[in-house]
Amino acid sequence: MLIGISLISFFIMHLAPGDITSSEASFNPKASEESRQKLRELYNLDKPVIIQYGLWLKRMVKLDFGNSFASHQRPVLWEKKDNNGNVIKGLIQESLPITLLINLIGIFLIFSISIILGTISAVKQNSIVDRSITFFIFVAFAIPGFWLALLLMYWTGVLNQWLPISGLHSLDYKNFSEIGQFLDLLKHLILPVSISMLSGLAGISLYVRNGMLDVLHQDFITTARSKGLEEKTIIFTHALKNAILPLITIIGLSIPGLIGGSVITESIFAIPGMGKLFYDSVLMRDFPVIMGILTIGSVLTLLGTLIADIGYAWADPRIRKGLVK
Amino acid sequence: MKQIFLLILLLIFLISCSNNNSEVIDYKDNNLSNGGVLINAMSAEPSNLISMIAGDSASSAIASKIFNSLIRYDENLNFTSDIAESWKISKNQKTITFKIKKGLEWSDGVPLTSADVYFTWKLITNPNTRTPYGADYTLVSEAKIPDEHTFIVTYDQNYAPALDTWASLEILPKHILENEDINSTFFSRKPIGSNYYKLGDWISGQQVNLIKSDNGVLGAPHIDKLTSRIIPDTSSQFLELSAGNIDLMNINPIQFKRVFPAKPKLKRRTELYKEMGNGYTYLGFNLNKKPFDDKRVRQAINYAINKEEVIKGVLLGLGEPISSPYKPGTRWNNPSLKPYAYSPKKALSLLKEAGYKMSGNNFLVKEGKALEFEIITNQNKQREMTAVLIQRRLKEIGIKVSIRVIEWASFVNRFIKTGNFDVVVLGWSLSLDPDQYNIWHSSQQGPGQFNFVGYHNEKVDLLLEKGRRELDLDKREKIYHEFSKHLLEDSPIVYLYAGYGLTAVNKRIKGIKMPAPPAGIYHNSYNWYIPKSLRRNEFTDK
Repeated sequence: MLIGISLISFFIMHLAPGDITSSEASFNPKASEESRQKLRELYNLDKPVIIQYGLWLKRMVKLDFGNSFASHQRPVLWEKKDNNGNVIKGLIQESLPITLLINLIGIFLIFSISIILGTISAVKQNSIVDRSITFFIFVAFAIPGFWLALLLMYWTGVLNQWLPISGLHSLDYKNFSEIGQFLDLLKHLILPVSISMLSGLAGISLYVRNGMLDVLHQDFITTARSKGLEEKTIIFTHALKNAILPLITIIGLSIPGLIGGSVITESIFAIPGMGKLFYDSVLMRDFPVIMGILTIGSVLTLLGTLIADIGYAWADPRIRKGLVK
Repeated sequence: MKQIFLLILLLIFLISCSNNNSEVIDYKDNNLSNGGVLINAMSAEPSNLISMIAGDSASSAIASKIFNSLIRYDENLNFTSDIAESWKISKNQKTITFKIKKGLEWSDGVPLTSADVYFTWKLITNPNTRTPYGADYTLVSEAKIPDEHTFIVTYDQNYAPALDTWASLEILPKHILENEDINSTFFSRKPIGSNYYKLGDWISGQQVNLIKSDNGVLGAPHIDKLTSRIIPDTSSQFLELSAGNIDLMNINPIQFKRVFPAKPKLKRRTELYKEMGNGYTYLGFNLNKKPFDDKRVRQAINYAINKEEVIKGVLLGLGEPISSPYKPGTRWNNPSLKPYAYSPKKALSLLKEAGYKMSGNNFLVKEGKALEFEIITNQNKQREMTAVLIQRRLKEIGIKVSIRVIEWASFVNRFIKTGNFDVVVLGWSLSLDPDQYNIWHSSQQGPGQFNFVGYHNEKVDLLLEKGRRELDLDKREKIYHEFSKHLLEDSPIVYLYAGYGLTAVNKRIKGIKMPAPPAGIYHNSYNWYIPKSLRRNEFTDK
């Protein structure tokens, strides 16, 4: 499966014309065609694609993701030490933590807010509250993120100086205590996280709302009501549990998304995350980095599906029983 | 980016409420003192700090503050001393002797000698070094270091651009790199240099900090620390500048002409600088294709394009028309040449001479074929807009033009390399050395070479060959003035404009020359300073 995915991605990547030697910076009369040809040979780019794939696969078997072309042979995945003990950090190693952090906070917030909003909408179906929640999440979904981002940056950063505008740390953050550094990071993350969160709200909360409505119309809820149970207990213990079951699948499927950042958000907020890394490496035709990210992505997709299935079975006894039978 | 930019404009109108707690700073303080931090923004992260390998502009911007070359360009773009205090060209013009300053040190205290220079030359000519710039240096047939302070290079044939090549080769320390693999060494992210700044720290994707080096070749700078923040989006850079978080950024014509004048408060604490940029934009014909093999057709199109209009429309007037591929105001630029004036009449009469007739539906036709072609360009807003303006003007005289915009790598590989194009809108740099052999000599037309328009003129070939061999500046100047004349007359490309480089700098930074000299505002950045009263609440992390 993985070999199939990587083979296809490798070929598609090579379908795009150009390679690392045809970047805009190298279109320079001082750089001769001979030296560019030499570079191509040094990077094995003059060989047929299938041989290049073979070379790549040979390295991958040893879990060696190779070195980036564009950023002076920096390792793609993880740090390497040279003979003098100088540590050269990997590209993904440096970009991944920050993207993961943003996405984890984002997903956590999306799910918790969506569950609350979805439940309220379902319980107060067709009321003014329901309508305004639906309206709000659709507006949030429809607003272009970069536009809102710039507006908020201007308002909170330039006019009022409440929040930092871009970047991850204040320039003097090294002088802060550890807690200070952490708070500083959080402050820098408020805007990017809320922007990347907004578009996710709509889908999930509608999911919860509809799931909730389905459940509320089922017989066992009517039974519970007729037993004279409190409405709170019915909604939170009986209905909600059933309504959010499908979310497990969504969480599982969003695992590969955890390592993908948004190029636009990352560019605007000057965050060196995975989205920017991938985008830049595509523009530079930095093949080892592209393949590295794609491989990790496909592994995570496969893992995510598996986790979703297992999680579903764990949470829902009906499926477990089906399995046993 | 443009759209984002327009949105900011809109924003400024939308949110008219202003900041009331604006501090009142008197920017008149001009007292020179050492210290302070300058924070600037750059759009891309340097790929590595060994510039013979890097090649991107972000890298060379940082590396040039850490490393020195043998010689450098002064503010008027003449050569001046850097590591070498003097240089002598032999009578037969084949040997250059550089005398290296005495008592130089790397920032780690190790002496800098001719051995380092020799080592760097060996390195860039080593076939295993992954550099695209080696070709110029392999022309050196012999390099010698008779003593610690002398470096002698001999060429088989005299090579006029030699000095320029030595001004662009940054000298690397032998004692550190001797046993390193230059292609993967840690040194690219932890360099030891000889210039007035040294690398403090480099936080990947976020910032590069340079701190002052006291034993630099050119002495110590006034400003203690230079922080370059990496902010890819120019709108965000602009917001940071508005909030006073950064001191310096490159701006675009809209910001220069529209945004800053509309924001008086920001304007009051920001100085805008304008300098001749480093490149020009042109419309290039494929001379191997009909009808562009006919000089009259090329000239006609040149006459039919209104360059002033393009400069006004695309650059809001912040550019200049040019008539030779050299910076206006430098000695290589031939002042007697004038760009083709806008004249549809002349264009039409030239086209009639070439055999074209106006057809019934207002298009020019020759032998039953309409005069039509496709302009291709890469994804660059200014070039796209330029193409559109040209399309309209050419339609007026009966030429049908279509436009196609292509991503860079495909553009180069599928169209430029294969010669499969009619007309391109592209840019070349206004090189400091006048040698343009690689771009215009008829031998440079192979795939991947730079005379892709297919220009061939024997007179120009001869001049280019002569210009490369002549080290006497006055004689050289004549050769290139003659060359520019032929080039303008033959019109293988239409010079459209050379845009200005625009920079916004917070007024707390003093010592910047205004108006900018030909070398640009950065050339004396070691002389910039920040008066004590204007410094931020300094952050010290010593």
